[in-house]
Amino acid sequence: MSELTINRLLEALLEGNQSLAVVESRKLLENDVKPERIVTEGIESAMTQLDAKCTVEQFNLLEIMLVGRAVMEVMKVLYPTDGSPPDTKGIVVTGALEGDVHDLGKNILRIVLTAKGYRVVDCGTDCPVEKLIDTAAQEAALTIGVSGLITTVIPQVRQVTAILSERGLGHIKVMAGGAALKQATAESLNVDFVAQTAFDGVHYIDQILEVK
Amino acid sequence: MPLLIAKIEKSERRIPFTPGRSLRDILDATESRVRSGCRGSGACGFCRVQIEAGKVNEPTPNEYTLLGSARLEKGIRLACQVMPEDDLRIVVLEPAPKSNWRSLFAEEDEVRRIKTSLTLREFQSEVEHPYGVAVDLGTTRISLSLLELSSGKRLAGRYGLNPQMRFGSDIMTRLVAASESQIQAQTMRQQVIEAIGEAMLDIATREGINLKIVTRLALVGNTAMLTLLSGRNYGMLLQPSSWMSYVDCLPQDTESWAVSWDIYPRARIEVIAPLAGFVGSDLLAGVVATRVTENEAGALLIDFGTNSEIALWDGQTLWVTSAAGGPAFEGSGTSCGIPAEPGAVYRVSLENGELDFAVIADGKVRGMCGSGLIDLIANLVKSGRLGKTGRFTSNVPGECFKLVEGEQNLYLTKGDVDVFQRAKAAIGAGINILLEKAGMGSRNLHRICIGGAFGQFLNVGNAQDIGLLPNIQTDLIELCGNTALAGCEWFLLSSEATKSLEILTEQVKIINLAQCDDFEDIFFKNLYIEPMAGS
Ligand code: B12
Ligand code: FES
Repeated sequence: MSELTINRLLEALLEGNQSLAVVESRKLLENDVKPERIVTEGIESAMTQLDAKCTVEQFNLLEIMLVGRAVMEVMKVLYPTDGSPPDTKGIVVTGALEGDVHDLGKNILRIVLTAKGYRVVDCGTDCPVEKLIDTAAQEAALTIGVSGLITTVIPQVRQVTAILSERGLGHIKVMAGGAALKQATAESLNVDFVAQTAFDGVHYIDQILEVK
Repeated sequence: MPLLIAKIEKSERRIPFTPGRSLRDILDATESRVRSGCRGSGACGFCRVQIEAGKVNEPTPNEYTLLGSARLEKGIRLACQVMPEDDLRIVVLEPAPKSNWRSLFAEEDEVRRIKTSLTLREFQSEVEHPYGVAVDLGTTRISLSLLELSSGKRLAGRYGLNPQMRFGSDIMTRLVAASESQIQAQTMRQQVIEAIGEAMLDIATREGINLKIVTRLALVGNTAMLTLLSGRNYGMLLQPSSWMSYVDCLPQDTESWAVSWDIYPRARIEVIAPLAGFVGSDLLAGVVATRVTENEAGALLIDFGTNSEIALWDGQTLWVTSAAGGPAFEGSGTSCGIPAEPGAVYRVSLENGELDFAVIADGKVRGMCGSGLIDLIANLVKSGRLGKTGRFTSNVPGECFKLVEGEQNLYLTKGDVDVFQRAKAAIGAGINILLEKAGMGSRNLHRICIGGAFGQFLNVGNAQDIGLLPNIQTDLIELCGNTALAGCEWFLLSSEATKSLEILTEQVKIINLAQCDDFEDIFFKNLYIEPMAGS
């Protein structure tokens, strides 16, 4: 029974049908399916399929936002208190640096990471590098994810790793993404990784965890 | 449409045209211009062509004088004196030297001039019959026109690429380049001053106009372009904190410009100040030219570009914002996009399920411009080939839609649709948010004026079907062309226009989309390819 309905949830999610997805996940809970299982078999596998579809040529913002929104609603059903599972694989601090007010891409990253079991602490937009690093230190973050949509933020991105090591936080990895940064190489931005898409970023973090 | 086949140097061009213009004017709209030295009055004798086939009007007296009957018998004519009505085949005997500048047509703005009848300034000057020049300094394009100050008549106009493109196609990249190095800032500044001079020189040599009697010049532009032109405060725009405040960017060395342009040495050069933040004097000029604030009725002005500027008049307040949708409607950023120039598909229509299209100037398809993109997407949705979320349906085999295939290819990819959706959503969200701030709905709109990227080609119905424009009666929507240049001409010509500018600045409220909490939700809704919500 639950097998079948998890599939129904998966389909609803992939279609981005938010209300159906919520109905299906409520049904699953009523049938005593554990939230963890709904996350791994429903949400995470929806994300994996979306990931496969989201190559650079195949990307469609609306499709991703639809799925993302449905996922976030289901998370709220599963974890009514704060919309994310109590134990997480790790913490990721995200932000857009001073002068950059774009946050749509960063919000998608948050959804994808949350769906994959990470906790995201978002410093918002127009955020000074120092604030991003303070937050990462406080939260004992695994990684910092910098999102950049306008080219003007590049000099700030280049500083992040240096300041981290100055403050003895060199173990925190830095990844960058967003339309203005993804053409650049990790060396030129002085970061550990440059992601083409939000999924790319998740693969990178998954990989850090595996190595650990 | 009748077809003109023109042989020029070694190539042959096929140019569909609407009768009513001289052959010189028709050629002027393409890259294959004929030489010319008298504004087409039939006085210089430079614009020689040979008619190979097709019927045209009898030679004019000027042609008898300048060409003689022997040449006329061979079919040699002056292009400015020939008014073709039907299909025609010609050889351009005297091609114009290559230029970075193309002609703007006089008729387009003449229409606007009649609608707006302001009183002209009294010009006191040491020069008899002085001329004035109006300049619209755009991020992508520089457009300028030369007018007779006493009558307000536009004698000639030119447009060409802003040479700063070499430093980056968008304003942010250029502002950063200027902030990085004084030398780069100086170069960009110089490039624009020189480009304006070059365009004026093109007019002078081609139309036989004496620049020494240009006694006045007015210039409008977006704030970023004005800071780069004056070399002042370009760093300010990089800080979100200054987006709502006035940016001082009036140049302080205009006397030296007059010298380098070789115009009247004491010419009055006036750069119109921007409003605040990114809202430049180009938008203000557009508001003055279209007179959207003229009465109580609600009206909307959209100036399409990489950064589209939107102004909404609610009867008392003018709400303005700028929405950075990217350059998709200017024919850039997509795999198939090119600007609206020869070879661009500018119109796509749907008949019995089949798509048909029209190409600017010669028959060869090189890409698709903004208006073509809108038509294509609207018709793909209408014919069930594209879903409203931007996904191709099973009616489209493969990964993309193939409009033209064979010798030339023109494909619309899924990625192109995505880029289009974002550009449309940014503008749609801008419109929705302004309407919301003003407490209005589309039913309160009695007029929509469209300026910028689309020129005269936009199919308004299609633009509404895909949600780029609010749904109001299509006859209330006007295609106004370059409203910034038209407004700038008015600043040049009339003190009333300058006064209305002063009143305007008191009525404006700037909205920063980045500070709207529900931007993401509204943007999301506008990503759908469907008519705009709300009434
Ligand atoms: C929406 C938008 C806006 C909105 C932003 C609202 C908001 N709350 O975000 C508004 C209208 C406010 C705006 C304002 C401006 N914008 Co704007 N905007 C856009 C637009 C249309 C879409 C951007 C977007 O959201 N993309 C969707 C997201 C999902 O894509 P993404 O961020 O790349 O994210 C994906 C990946 O990259 C990845 N990702 C993103 N970040 C990260 C981080 C990590 C760590 C990882 C792993 C992955 C990752 O995840 C996502 C999914 O895979 C683009 C043009 C376009 N067609 O793309 C211009 C654009 C980004 N804007 C631009 C500009 C210039 C501006 C303005 C300066 C314009 C102006 N004159 O007013 C202002 C101010 C901006 C500023 N200083 O920050 C330019 C930037 C040019 C440049 N070279 O820098 C663009 C490219 C348009 C253009 N061509 O001119 N803009
Ligand atoms: S005679 Fe035709 S342009 Fe001068």
